[in-house]
Amino acid sequence: MTAFAELVAPAGWRTVDLISDLHLQASEPATFDAWQGYLQTTPADAIFILGDLFEVWVGDDAAAEPGFEAQCAEVLRAAAQHRPVFFMHGNRDFLVGAAFAARCGLQLLDDPTVLVLHDRRWLLSHGDVLCLEDTEYLQFRAQVRAPSWQSAFLARPLAERRALARSMRTQSEDRKRSPGMVWADVDADAARAWLRQAGATTLVHGHTHRPGKHALGDGLERIVLSDWDVTAHPARAQLLCLSSAGAQRVDLR
Amino acid sequence: MSNPQVELHIKDHGVITLELDQDKAPKSVENFLAYVAKGHYDNTVFHRVIPGFMVQGGGFEPGMSQKPSGAEIQNEANNGLKNDNYTVAMARTSAPHSATAQFFINVADNGFLNHTAPSAQGWGYAVFGKVVGGKEVVDKIKAVKTGRKGFHDDVPLEDVVIEKAVVKAE
Repeated sequence: MTAFAELVAPAGWRTVDLISDLHLQASEPATFDAWQGYLQTTPADAIFILGDLFEVWVGDDAAAEPGFEAQCAEVLRAAAQHRPVFFMHGNRDFLVGAAFAARCGLQLLDDPTVLVLHDRRWLLSHGDVLCLEDTEYLQFRAQVRAPSWQSAFLARPLAERRALARSMRTQSEDRKRSPGMVWADVDADAARAWLRQAGATTLVHGHTHRPGKHALGDGLERIVLSDWDVTAHPARAQLLCLSSAGAQRVDLR
Repeated sequence: MSNPQVELHIKDHGVITLELDQDKAPKSVENFLAYVAKGHYDNTVFHRVIPGFMVQGGGFEPGMSQKPSGAEIQNEANNGLKNDNYTVAMARTSAPHSATAQFFINVADNGFLNHTAPSAQGWGYAVFGKVVGGKEVVDKIKAVKTGRKGFHDDVPLEDVVIEKAVVKAE
């Protein structure tokens, strides 16, 4: 069993913000604006983005041409000038690469990563890999996370990759046209096993879009981050703030 | 012997009466009646409501906590019954023979859900009965306001609760 990646917060950090599942896309400018406004004003000493910042990411070269990705890059770069910004991959933006991270000043995180803050250990994950019931997705995940698949995909022309992403999106919309049953959630046994391995009591993850706090027994727990959609009623734009006082949800809207 | 009927008492909406086709879908009917008998459906919600398609329920309590369910059953979609408006069928995962407790009521003629071939793509969804009373209740349910919750876009904003499901006395 390999040890989980560990990040020890510098002593000076008082608060850390965790966000995930913003699903930023050009067609939803209001959520983009809320996110930009948040980054410009948060007093946090560090920001952790735990996956699915972007609705889709087809390669870092997408941000090289003027457009939505380049706009996002600018916002991230400005934020990272003021404080460290950490980025963990989600199931949508798993192709965000070292080039984009370097350009924006992001620090890429392994999934999972143990954050040690004020002597407390927090286990951070996107969460998708713990949804064991979603076997179809996990097979897809294994395929697209393989370096060979990624290099082959990234070798295709950008326009073709954008078209492929669109068609995959349509296919997943089609799947919704079935009386399906699996509503995958994080597997409690798997979460407990991770927490024990990490020597942590609290797992924080996103992915499921089901914000909440779940006791896992033996003093273990998992906290689920909210997704963002400021056009929903009520609007959703929420972060989890970690400090010496523990974890606190902060609604931005 | 006449077909069994089950009443779904929907809070604030009324009663839906389902007639189950024991001859054409014996396994699905037996399975559904077993869940009814042990009270599984009492205090569950219609958690997925898509007008022009179907309303799905039987798996979650209010607040979207998932209820444990029993063994997976064989898919009887090849029984000749069609996913027509106001029929009731078993929901399942992408695996053809994976239905347990969740069911759905078609609120349109959904021909694309019918059995076409014994393959993963073609199995279809097993119809095992039809609405014989309370169609207006189904119409009310399909018209409720929905929103995004979890991964889905189609969750009623106000819970549509099955208070109880009971076998109708003959």
